Amino acid sequence: MLLLFEAILCMRLLFKRRNRIEVLRQMFVGGIKSLAVITVVASFTGMILALQTGIEMRRFGQEVYIGAAVMVSMLREMGPFMTGLILAASVGSSIAAQMGTMVVSEEIAALELMSINPVRFLVMPRLVAMAIMTPFLSFYSCIMGVVGGGIVGMTQLNVPWSAYIDNATRFAENKDLFVGMLKAFLFGIIIVIIACHQGFATTQGAVGVGNATRRTVILSFLTILIVGYMITRLFYV
Amino acid sequence: MIQLENVTKILGERRILDGVNLDVRRGETLFVVGPSGTGKSVTLKHMIRLMTPDEGRVVVDGEVVSEAAGKDLERIRDKFGVLFQGGALLEWLNVGENVALPLREKTKLTEDEIEAKVMEKLTMVGLEKDIEKFPSEISGGMRKRVGLARAIVMNPQIILYDEPTSGLDPVSSRMIDRLIDHLKNELGVTSVVVTHDLHSALSIGTRIAMLTGGKIVELATPGDFVKSQVEEVQQFLESQFITVRGEWEKKGL
Repeated sequence: MLLLFEAILCMRLLFKRRNRIEVLRQMFVGGIKSLAVITVVASFTGMILALQTGIEMRRFGQEVYIGAAVMVSMLREMGPFMTGLILAASVGSSIAAQMGTMVVSEEIAALELMSINPVRFLVMPRLVAMAIMTPFLSFYSCIMGVVGGGIVGMTQLNVPWSAYIDNATRFAENKDLFVGMLKAFLFGIIIVIIACHQGFATTQGAVGVGNATRRTVILSFLTILIVGYMITRLFYV
Repeated sequence: MIQLENVTKILGERRILDGVNLDVRRGETLFVVGPSGTGKSVTLKHMIRLMTPDEGRVVVDGEVVSEAAGKDLERIRDKFGVLFQGGALLEWLNVGENVALPLREKTKLTEDEIEAKVMEKLTMVGLEKDIEKFPSEISGGMRKRVGLARAIVMNPQIILYDEPTSGLDPVSSRMIDRLIDHLKNELGVTSVVVTHDLHSALSIGTRIAMLTGGKIVELATPGDFVKSQVEEVQQFLESQFITVRGEWEKKGL
């Protein structure tokens, strides 16, 4: 929490051009580079959701409702969760390994000695970048999931694209979108704070870097699941 | 200029430093030598408060660095430049950007002024042609020279060197020695060098401190150091095939 608080305090320095450039670089490194894997995972998740629900609904002749099932599932839960888990495994582990290696190779000590605050220099740009990129990627994963579900609907379940989309948009509410985005925003912050904290706490050389990376992924997964549940409970119960 | 007063540091269950007293004089090049794991780097880290003593205190220019915090600590640290063992270069910045980092972060110099200063320091360490290269593209010796250029770019009063010649071939080691000596002679900086390399210490050191078992067991000029009767010093000299018959002669670099 202290790390988060300090990083938030450092955000006033976003007015400096150099810091803004670093945020953009981190948005590219953490966000844009994750697009490919998110595209594949989200598309297949949508396809699986459509297929599983479609097979059951077809027994009652209601397969046209797969659009609603896929859209609502993706917006409320699957989009933010998948994005969070993918980013925790890829970006979070990468940040922890980088910070840990920087500790081991005395780069953090060198920054401190140059009176360059590592939280401002390393944590803040990643925090801002992921807080922006995770909701964007979550929304993108929802679109890809819905498209994947639509393809399965057309090819496997004989649900026309227009009916699928009409059904999907009719049942989804703005609230679903906003709650999903809120989750994704918080997941982005959780991933960066856990990864940086674990990385900075690295000891024992290469073994320590490995441990920091492993702990980052496990703690991020658990926190994302718990926070996700709590937000769902807060807004839908 | 730097005083370690009865500094004790315990890490885990090991007493790494055990009541170390050391006085670094202004303008000298003090070498701290000793076997691995005897606390040489720990001593260095206490001078810039990357570590805090469990007992005793560290004083820099009359200010107690071991108790300083915030802006006071920042001000004291501004007097120092440090060459870390591996160079501690940021891997995603190129050589020029690494050297420019403290200037960009801490000064209001224009980009042209920064570029001029960076080029001046890189020329001093003989790397002006490698300004665009990334740390992963240069050798260990070059990394140390870039680290040195970054350490001196803010014109510090004191430079700390952590194993500056470790892992380097003899030619590169002597090049680093020449740079350390040059900085002392031309810029008048005070230097503290932690090393195993007695050849460096005897060639360019003003005084040499031998640290063993967390204590300073010898502190002498190179001439007196080689004649020391302290057993640990004699063993250390013999381990590096340094024997003295008659007067020790310090040869220029």
